[in-house]
Amino acid sequence: MKLRQLAKTATAGLATNRSRSFLTILGIVIGITAIIIVMSLGQGAQGLILGEIQSIGSRVIGIVPGRQPTSPTDFLSTFTDSLKKSDLVALQNKSNVPHGATVMPVVFGSEAASWQTNTYQATLLGTTELFGDVYNVTTDEGEMFGADDVTGLASVVVIGKTVEQKLFDGGSAIGEKVRIKNHTFRVVGVLKSTGQLSFLNFDEAVFMPYTTAQTYIFGINYFNRMVVEADSVSTVNETADDIKATLRNDHGIIDPSKDDFFIQTQESAMQTVSTILNVLTLFLASVAAVSLVVGGIGIMNIMLVSVTERTREIGLRKALGATDSNILSQFLLEAVILTAIGGVIGIALGGFVSFLVAFVLSHAYGLNWQFVLPWSAVALGLGVSSGIGLIFGIYPARQAAKKSPIEALRYE
Amino acid sequence: MALIEAKSLRKVYGDEGAETIAVEDVSLEINAGEFVAIMGPSGSGKSTLLHILGFLDRYTSGTYIFDGKEMSEYSEDELAHIRNNKMGFVFQAFNLLPRATVLDNVKLPLLYSDIPEEQWSDMAIKAIQTVKLGHRTNHQAYQLSGGEKQRVAIARALILSPQVIFADEPTGNLDSKSGQAVMETIQRLNEEQGHTIILITHELHTAEHAERILTILDGRIDSNKKVAQRRRTTDVFEK
Repeated sequence: MKLRQLAKTATAGLATNRSRSFLTILGIVIGITAIIIVMSLGQGAQGLILGEIQSIGSRVIGIVPGRQPTSPTDFLSTFTDSLKKSDLVALQNKSNVPHGATVMPVVFGSEAASWQTNTYQATLLGTTELFGDVYNVTTDEGEMFGADDVTGLASVVVIGKTVEQKLFDGGSAIGEKVRIKNHTFRVVGVLKSTGQLSFLNFDEAVFMPYTTAQTYIFGINYFNRMVVEADSVSTVNETADDIKATLRNDHGIIDPSKDDFFIQTQESAMQTVSTILNVLTLFLASVAAVSLVVGGIGIMNIMLVSVTERTREIGLRKALGATDSNILSQFLLEAVILTAIGGVIGIALGGFVSFLVAFVLSHAYGLNWQFVLPWSAVALGLGVSSGIGLIFGIYPARQAAKKSPIEALRYE
Repeated sequence: MALIEAKSLRKVYGDEGAETIAVEDVSLEINAGEFVAIMGPSGSGKSTLLHILGFLDRYTSGTYIFDGKEMSEYSEDELAHIRNNKMGFVFQAFNLLPRATVLDNVKLPLLYSDIPEEQWSDMAIKAIQTVKLGHRTNHQAYQLSGGEKQRVAIARALILSPQVIFADEPTGNLDSKSGQAVMETIQRLNEEQGHTIILITHELHTAEHAERILTILDGRIDSNKKVAQRRRTTDVFEK
């Protein structure tokens, strides 16, 4: 018996009971829909977050003090003072890090800035004059503070667009004096609006020389972070290794497991985020998969009913020459066709819902959210649904196949 | 050599202690081309005997040789294959697929045969014409009258030109006129196309279409007589 004839027979069997066939596949449809939505949205979120990371620039290497967190609750490990001025000098030395084009220390915190009666809680970043180049931002009005301001602990700030709007009521901020922690700073520049950029909204930030911030604001002599920009993408890994060697030498560390700093490259950050999101997606997809098991049991139940109802038909087919394997294949194929149809509907429905979500997120919320329907999800959806048909269809199909022809024919 | 050769067939139903003997010590021979009727009251075991002869059921003891080979030597798949292309079945309850068309019902045995699909429709149409239902080819089975349904069943039974057609009370559910049409069809298959017919009935006038009548009583063969004056039904379709 050829597969085509078998498929015809099976579909004819299903077509005689359309509404029941539809209700049976509903469980599969829901399960596959859920899996497709989870996988599609997971990919969309991943694309969004990876895009954010990419906006940092692929040549940028971050140096974070403390050891790499080993668990989500290990964040205390990052609050250490291991990055000092001597490290900055060592890293700036070309013989230590030949491909490090830019070395920039960063100190940060959240501080209230005020002008006259207005106050704004801003993210305060102490950096060098190079931050504009590293983060690809330019000033809209005024200019960046210069290298002299950094060495001279100048009381100057460059502020984000939102900060200007909130503090100066729409007027220009250039030349004005703002107060932060009882110290007065002159506004020398206002940044062009950038919006959310790599987990930080520059529009809501205040920038000043790191020396000024260390001395007048935070009262510290270490850095919260250091940023090194490699001279090209191809030298990022080499530069990261040079940085490690330099800092270990500077800190007197011989055993790399005792490092009191760690390196973040865009690649490693992307890997970490991808891993987390993939695990999360997988977890949610497996929750959705539970509903598939329920759907599969529904299939088995209905197929058993169908086998009982069609006992006489089975007897007749056997009397007319159908072998056990003919009957087995017919009922198994009916189950697989049911679940595969459920899978196709589920993929279409899941794809449609994901598309709607992506559309709303990108249009109503302005997120850079792309609709993705991963091929892996489609293949998984089809594979899993057909597999469920096979697994849950085999028992009823065997029950059908082993009926004796005459007992089946006599069945009332 | 006879097409069908049974010796001391015995069929027992049920478990030990609660056994029912359906067939006891039945020996018979039926030659190719013969038309044999099996008669007997309800519960006499005639249907069980027919099912055994048609490979639909197994006997408890004895021997049954079909076409030169003992039944127990055939595998399950071989039995299915023989049921498919050497035997045809007509049941009292018709056993058609109600939602399928006449054409598809008649084609059903072909599904399990080795015949290429291109030939199926021609073969089915020819079989439907043999039972004079050409005008009903594309009707669904449930739309037909009882007599027509049984003729569809006959067309289905003869589509693969089997060596023997087993008919289990084919007229039992029919009015006399429809029954006559069915009997004329069966008679023609035997006379014109040479099919061996084994027919179960409890009506003497139906049995008298056969050459020979076997009477079964309490599972045993009670008598085995040639029909002296065979009844003939003709011209039913012209009326």
